[in-house]
Amino acid sequence: MARTAMAQETICALRRKIARIEGTLPERLAAPDEGDGLVLRRGISATRQAAASAFLETGVSGLDAALAGGLPRAALTEIHGKETRDAGAAAGFVLALVALLRKSGSQGRNAVCWIGTMDLFREAGCPYAPGLEKLFGLSPDNLLFSPVEHLADALWVAEEAARLKDFSAVILELRGNPARLDLTATRRLHRRAQEIGRPVFLLREAALAEPTAAPVRLQVSAAPASPRSTLAGPLEDAIGHPAFTVVIGKSRTALPGQFVLEWNSDAFTFHEIRPARSRALVPASGHRPHLPATGGAIVALRPAGKVSAPSDQPPRKERPAHRRSRRAS
Amino acid sequence: MADARAMHPSLEIIEANPEANRRLLTGLADWCDRYTPLVALDGDDGLFLDITGCAHLFGGEEKMMEDILSPLLAQGFDARAGLASCPGAAWAAARFLSPSVIPPGGEADALAPLPLSALRIDPDSRAGLESVGLHTAGAILDAPRIPLARRFGADLMRRLDQALGRSEEPISPRLPVPPLSAERQLAEPVATAEDIESLTHMLAVTLRQDLERRGEGADALQLSLFRVDGAVHRHVIRTSLPLREPGLIRNLFHEKLAATGDEVDAGYGFELVRLSVLKASPFAVEQVDLAGESAEGEEGLALFADRVRARLGGNALMQPAPIESHIPERAVRMVPFAVSDKTTLARKKAPPADAPANLGRPIRLFSRPEPVEVIAAEVPEGPPLHFRWRRAMYHVARSEGPERLAPEWWREADNAPTRDYFRVEDAEGRRFWLYRQGLYGAAEEMPRWFMHGIFP
Repeated sequence: MARTAMAQETICALRRKIARIEGTLPERLAAPDEGDGLVLRRGISATRQAAASAFLETGVSGLDAALAGGLPRAALTEIHGKETRDAGAAAGFVLALVALLRKSGSQGRNAVCWIGTMDLFREAGCPYAPGLEKLFGLSPDNLLFSPVEHLADALWVAEEAARLKDFSAVILELRGNPARLDLTATRRLHRRAQEIGRPVFLLREAALAEPTAAPVRLQVSAAPASPRSTLAGPLEDAIGHPAFTVVIGKSRTALPGQFVLEWNSDAFTFHEIRPARSRALVPASGHRPHLPATGGAIVALRPAGKVSAPSDQPPRKERPAHRRSRRAS
Repeated sequence: MADARAMHPSLEIIEANPEANRRLLTGLADWCDRYTPLVALDGDDGLFLDITGCAHLFGGEEKMMEDILSPLLAQGFDARAGLASCPGAAWAAARFLSPSVIPPGGEADALAPLPLSALRIDPDSRAGLESVGLHTAGAILDAPRIPLARRFGADLMRRLDQALGRSEEPISPRLPVPPLSAERQLAEPVATAEDIESLTHMLAVTLRQDLERRGEGADALQLSLFRVDGAVHRHVIRTSLPLREPGLIRNLFHEKLAATGDEVDAGYGFELVRLSVLKASPFAVEQVDLAGESAEGEEGLALFADRVRARLGGNALMQPAPIESHIPERAVRMVPFAVSDKTTLARKKAPPADAPANLGRPIRLFSRPEPVEVIAAEVPEGPPLHFRWRRAMYHVARSEGPERLAPEWWREADNAPTRDYFRVEDAEGRRFWLYRQGLYGAAEEMPRWFMHGIFP
C-alpha cells in the first residue's frame, strides 16, 4: 500500500511537472483519485492552491469557467483588437485586466510597462494618463511608457521588462503581423513571464491569428455600453460603463465562446451583460458560439478565394486561406 | 590674385574654408585629449594644452613635445610647439622658437630677441611702437611702464605681463574636465566590441576604488575611444541611480555599443581607451538585511531604465506627468522616467489635473487631433449624426456632451476658437471623443470637427 502511494505521488509529481512544462492545467491531469493516501491528498490541495494563484479570475463566472479558472497569471496572453480603430477597446480590456491584477496583487510598486512602436502610437493614440487613472486606477507614477522606433527594440524592451519583479504586468502593443513576431519571439516572452510569474500581454491591433506561444488568445472588440445608471434609474442615451465583446480565440481548455463584459470603473470589477438592445451585430443568445473570428479587417475588398468557414470550426482551417489571399493580393 | 595668376598660370586657387579649418582643429584637439584633459582652442590656428602634471607620463617635457609633434609632422601638418610655464610665453615660443622649451624664469631672456608680434598685441599698438623704433619685445620689456601704458593703453601691459608670467592667464578647456577618469594605453590596438567591453570592465574596477574613497557613485560616464588614426569616439551613458559596480557599467556600455554597433568604425583599431566619470553624486550605502531582501526592486527598475536608455536613447522610457492645464493635450506631459525621489515629490505636489474627477477622459489620445468630416448634425450646436474618419463612415448611436473647453487666453490669441467635446458611441459600440472647434455663426469660417481620443 505504501509503495503504491509512493508511486502515485511520484506519478502525480511527474504529471504536474509535465503540465507545467506544457502550460496546461494541473488539476485536469492530476485527476483526484479520492480514497488514496493522505500524502496524495495533501498533494492535491497544494495543486489546487497553486491553481488558484496561477489564474487571474475575471469575476465573470462564464468566462472563468470557459478558461478553466481564469487567465493564466504567469504567461503570455494575446489580446487582439480587430482593427486599429478598436485599439481603445482592446487596450481598455487589457488595462481592466491589469487593474484586476493590481487589485488582487501584492504590495510593491505595482507599475505597468506599456511598450509599443512609435508608428502604432501615432496611428492609435498614445496612452492618456487622466483617462487611465479615472477608469482603471492607474496613476501616472505607475505607468511606464516606452515608445520605440523598431519592432526589434520593442521586443527587446519587453523581454527586459518581463524580467523585472517591479511590474505587475507588461503590455506589448504591436500592429499587424510582422515576420519578426514569430513563435520564437513569443516563446521567449512566454518563458520570461513564466519565470517571473507575471503576465505579459501581447496587445495586437489589426492582426491575423497566428500560431504563437501564448496559451490564450482573446479577441476583443467594443460593445455598446449600457445606459448610464443614475439614482433615478438608467439614463437613456447616455453612455455608461465601458463594455467589451470578448471572443475566446484560442485556449487549451475552452471551446470558442463569446462574452459581453462590462467594466465597472468604480468597483474595478467585470460583469457580464446580456445585450439589452438587440442589434444585428450581437447574437441573440449569449452562449452560442459566435462565428469564428476571422481576424484582420475586411474594409472594402473581400479577399479572393476566401471561404466562409462553417460556424463551429476552429480557425485552423481558415489560416491557409488567409495566407493564400494575402500572398495573392 | 590677378598678379599671382599672371606670374604663375598653373596656380590652383582654393577658397578658404573656415568651417573646415575649424573642424580640423577640433579634430586635432580631440586627438590631443590623450595628452591632457585640458585642451583649449586658441583662435583659428592654435591649441593650448595644459600639461601640468602630465609630462612625466610621457617621459619628460621635451620627449612629450616630440611625441605630439612627430605624428602631426608625419601627417603633413606644419606643426610648431612651444612649452613654457605660462600661456603667453608658450604662445610666443610655439610661433617663433619652435620647438623649444622655455624654463621657468627664463621668459624674459627667451622673448627679448623676438619681434613685437610675439607679444600678442593689437596691430595699432604694434605699428605705434614700431614707428618710435621699438622693434623687438626686449625693447619694451624693460622700458618704464607708465609712459607706455599712458600711450598705448592697459592692454599692452596686460599682454606683457601675460607673456612674462607675471599675471595669471586662464585657458578655458574645450571639454569639461571629468572629476575622475581612468585610461589604458594599448601597445596593440583593439577593434572588437568584446575587447572594448573587457577593457571597460578593467577601467571600471580602477574607478571603483576612487569612487569608494570619495563615497560617490557615477551619474554619468563617458567612454572615449581613441582610434589609431586620430579619430575619437565618445559614448556617454547616464544612470538613474549612482553606480559604481564594474559589472553593471560594463553591461550598460555593452548596450550602448550594441545600439551604435553599426556606426562605430573601428578602422585599424583603438589604441587608447579612457573611461571617465562625468558626474558623480553621493552613493548611499545600504545595509542589506540578513534575509537578503534589500530594496532591490528600485534598483532593478533603475537598471532596467538605464539599459533601455543606453540602448535606445533618453526618450525610450517615459512617464506621464500631470500639468496644470485644462486643455487635454497639455494636461499631461511625457517626461523621461526618473527614479530619484526629488521628481516624485515634485510631482506629488502638483495638483491633479482635471480636478472635477468625474470628467470623462479617453484612454488614448491622438497626439495631433485628426480632422473629421461631419456629414450631418442634428442641431448646429449638437453632436454629429454621421461622420467620416479615416475614410470610414460612422453612425452615431448615442452621444454625451458637449463639454466646452475655452482656450487658454493667457497663452493664445483672443479670438482662438473654443472646443465643444462630445463623447459618441457608434453603431458597433466604439466610443470616441470628438470635438468641434469654434461655434456656428461666431466667425466667418465654419467650425471644424476633430477626433481627439478613443474610449475603451
